[in-house]
Amino acid sequence: MDFIRENKKPIVTLILVAVIAYTFYFLDEIKTTSVLVFGWGYAVPLVLAAMVGIIGERTGVVNIGIEGQMLMAAFASFFGSVFTGNLYLGILIGIGAGLIMGAFLAVAAVKWEMDQIIAGVVINIVAAGLTSFFYAQGKTLPDLMPVVSIPLLSQIPLIGPVFFRNGLFALSTLFIVAAVYYGLFKTRWGLRSRAVGEYPSAADAAGINVTRIRMLNVTFAGALAGCAGAFLALEAAGTFARGITAGRGFLALAIMIFGAWNPLGALAAALFFGLSTAIASQLQADEVINIPQQFVNLLPFVMTLVVLAIAVGRVRPPAAAGQPYTKEG
Amino acid sequence: MSLEQKDKKSDKFSFLVRNQSIVVPIVALIVAFLLGAILIAFQGVNPITAYRSIFSEAWFDSDGLLRTFQKTTPLVLAGLAVTVALRIGLFNIGAQGQLISAALAAALAGIYFSNLPAILHVFVSLLSGVIVGALWAAIAGILKAYRGVHEVISTIMLNSIAIGILDYLVSNPFKEPDQALQRTKKIAETAMLPNFGFIPLGFIFAIAVTLLISWFLNKTTAGFRFNTVGKNKFAAVYAGINTKLMIITGMLLSGGLAGLGGAIETLGITYRFEPAFNAGLGFDGITIALLARANPLATIPAAILVGTLRAGAASLQFETGIEPEIVDVLLAITLLLVSAPILAKFLFKNKAQKNANVTSGWGS
Amino acid sequence: MQRMRTLAGISILALVLAACSSGTSDTAAEGGMEETTAAVADDSNCAAAESFCVGLVTDIGKVDDKSFNQSAHEGAMAAAAEVGGFYKYIETTDTKDYAANMKQFTDKSYDVIVTVGFLMAEATVVAAKENPNTKFIGVDQFQAEEVANVTGLIFPEDQAGYAAGYLAGLLTKSNKLGQVLGLEIAPVQKFAKGFEAGAKAANANVSVTTVYHPPADNGFADPVWGAAEAKKQLSQGADIIFGAGGGTGNGALIEIAKAEGAGTSIFCIGVDTDQWGTVPEAQPCLVTSAMKGLTEGTSDLVKAVFDGSIKGGNFLGTTGLADYHDLASAVPADVQSKVAEVVAGLKDGSIQTGVTL
Repeated sequence: MDFIRENKKPIVTLILVAVIAYTFYFLDEIKTTSVLVFGWGYAVPLVLAAMVGIIGERTGVVNIGIEGQMLMAAFASFFGSVFTGNLYLGILIGIGAGLIMGAFLAVAAVKWEMDQIIAGVVINIVAAGLTSFFYAQGKTLPDLMPVVSIPLLSQIPLIGPVFFRNGLFALSTLFIVAAVYYGLFKTRWGLRSRAVGEYPSAADAAGINVTRIRMLNVTFAGALAGCAGAFLALEAAGTFARGITAGRGFLALAIMIFGAWNPLGALAAALFFGLSTAIASQLQADEVINIPQQFVNLLPFVMTLVVLAIAVGRVRPPAAAGQPYTKEG
Repeated sequence: MSLEQKDKKSDKFSFLVRNQSIVVPIVALIVAFLLGAILIAFQGVNPITAYRSIFSEAWFDSDGLLRTFQKTTPLVLAGLAVTVALRIGLFNIGAQGQLISAALAAALAGIYFSNLPAILHVFVSLLSGVIVGALWAAIAGILKAYRGVHEVISTIMLNSIAIGILDYLVSNPFKEPDQALQRTKKIAETAMLPNFGFIPLGFIFAIAVTLLISWFLNKTTAGFRFNTVGKNKFAAVYAGINTKLMIITGMLLSGGLAGLGGAIETLGITYRFEPAFNAGLGFDGITIALLARANPLATIPAAILVGTLRAGAASLQFETGIEPEIVDVLLAITLLLVSAPILAKFLFKNKAQKNANVTSGWGS
Repeated sequence: MQRMRTLAGISILALVLAACSSGTSDTAAEGGMEETTAAVADDSNCAAAESFCVGLVTDIGKVDDKSFNQSAHEGAMAAAAEVGGFYKYIETTDTKDYAANMKQFTDKSYDVIVTVGFLMAEATVVAAKENPNTKFIGVDQFQAEEVANVTGLIFPEDQAGYAAGYLAGLLTKSNKLGQVLGLEIAPVQKFAKGFEAGAKAANANVSVTTVYHPPADNGFADPVWGAAEAKKQLSQGADIIFGAGGGTGNGALIEIAKAEGAGTSIFCIGVDTDQWGTVPEAQPCLVTSAMKGLTEGTSDLVKAVFDGSIKGGNFLGTTGLADYHDLASAVPADVQSKVAEVVAGLKDGSIQTGVTL
């Protein structure tokens, strides 16, 4: 019961989305499924990247460098696969690159107590510069990312093909969200992390090593940014292009705030955003309403603002997000 | 070493310590260029040749110098826009959307108010840009003040919305007829900003506005209120400051500055609106503001640095074959070294000043 | 003083590297320089009659974009090599730098400057008027009025699109075709409208789904979006999809190549160049590409400058369909011959696409 009370908004959103989706499903099975597949595919990197942001900020570290972390990971995973000739090594290299980028943010923002937003911006610029500078054309992946169907679950109408018949990353995303949620709210690690993010001096007084927990969380969150980047290059596009992240890291920050720093909230927000994008593209394809595509494509952005302005309103970030912590004495 | 010599030496050192806010960026720049030199050398090019080609193009060529200042101008203004917002604790990621909306507004004023006399026409066109930029930002301000919508979300969304609307406007109602390109007509000559030799008039405006903003933020009561809201919202409320009003005014001012940058681009360089122009300027504004540590006066050297590197990048590729992206890597290293306390600590040990935070995280 | 020593150390390292590299930089043995160096060693003497210097300025983007910048780059480079000229390029990073980038070349008295992309049309004409002794080749730049030293290399994209659409119209089993496109701008619209017209001419029952990338800075470099859109169109029954829009379209092609039935019942069609070579990942589904003879046209015009036969005004490049390559067996002989007829008809003007923007 606590679970429902604590996550009222995401649960209501998810139920609402499900009701609407199934209504459409009975009207047009194929179209609805494919629109949802598009929507979830669009949402996956946003969800993963939003988890990076949430873990960071819940521990008191703002991460505006997610875009750059993802870009580096996409680059590393693609060229890692190309040069090792093995897709799975590429995945590991991509996640490793994410970890390194996470560790960089941790050192800069936590250890050096550098302005956290500047540290993030530095990551973004460095990533854009380096991945473009060292890009080499004409390389192709050694393998395709296999598509896995989870038995039974993938047989459920609509939900099955959308969530449970996917590549490895898209398949893992729901579990990652569940794990981050569980971790943050049901474990000792989560309790400590949140204490550090809300009230670091009290946490410190209670014997929690603020610096250590921040360093670890930010670094390991980087691995999730690595997953998001590897997803983009290896699973979603099957190639690397300069600037492949295309602002998704920033969008993920919006998703994180939209979801009120709650993993389930971010999941709901990303689904909402992905679905509106998918619907916009379907409206353009069907030409059912005769308005210019420029306006149709504004749908996700306008919807987000409207929903936030009317329904969600004020959300409160973790109190110490953005504040470096210096141990007194 | 005699005692006297030692004294002199420590005098010099203490002079450096006292002025470390200037010393650190300079050393940072030097180290960044040295690290960049290694990257360039790995490409098989002599770094000295490479750097010489950047600077001889950007500073020692009259066309190049003009271009350096032209590039610097919108960067100063976009940087100020982000700075002003930071001072009241808001992170304006939307300078880009504000800037491009204003660029179109200025172009339209430049085209359609063509019966105005020259000086008035320029003024009206600039003002149109400033107003549109300010209003576009104000949406985020109002949403923040009255509905609690976080400015980071709203400005990101408003950027995309602006791109879509502008794309429609220049593909349809305001499209130049008989032209495959999606762009407006050329503005009337009466609305064009002239260049004085290698100094564009817009640059002079940008400097003047910077001085004005610096004075406003540091010397006026309203500026003091801005800073109070930014530093501690509770203290601001306690002091009887209307924070809602401050947030909206702050966004208006921030958007107006970005808008001025967009308007000057249109009236001084591009003479029309085309979606491909102005790409990325608003985001560069974030870099500039952070490089300048949210100090309005420091946005000028920061913008000149970025403008120089960007103006010289083409020559760099022409002369040496080095790809222009190297410039961004140089900037990132500089920003890192300016902002990370390691360099100051390394140079001045325990005498290093602790940098105050430029941003306050997300605020609330 | 420890710190000063470290700083000095970094400086020394940099200087040593500088010294080491200065030896090689003259011959430009490494990096991007070697491929750009043709028979003439450098561009110090471009004004002289016997040295022929070719410069190229890209539209926003890089010479390895697998799209029009790359095609023009390859054409110009090949032509320069063939006639023993010198070749160099600049990649534009800011649309406001077109003029400055061209000036780099005119300052050194280059003989010919290739400017790539229709966004540069106006800047090219301005530069040409200022430099009457330099020839300019404007790729994708329609010349409304003739300037003696500017040659616009233009293509009837609608014809290439039409031919591709005609093939798709004959080949489709589901009577559903799709288009995954870059930004809604003139050359893309011409391809797309031509494709739709061709498909409908071949098969009255066909329906064509057309989706442009939403307006954004990265409209031509978003393979993730392209792939997702292609996947959606496939599952809604489209069996042949035209991917036209730089990296965005390439993302679509790569996604379609993964689909079950790719190459037998599912096909994709590339754009601009023969994408069999530029996007090898797409080979399982790539039946053909709606080609613009960018490389060939650029190369021909550069050589025309060399032998003095170049004329101002517009030069109509060729368009057509790329080879079927390995998928030739999937295209029935009667379809092949009908498509060949249409291509010929488009060329001699007996078939009109009817596309207007």
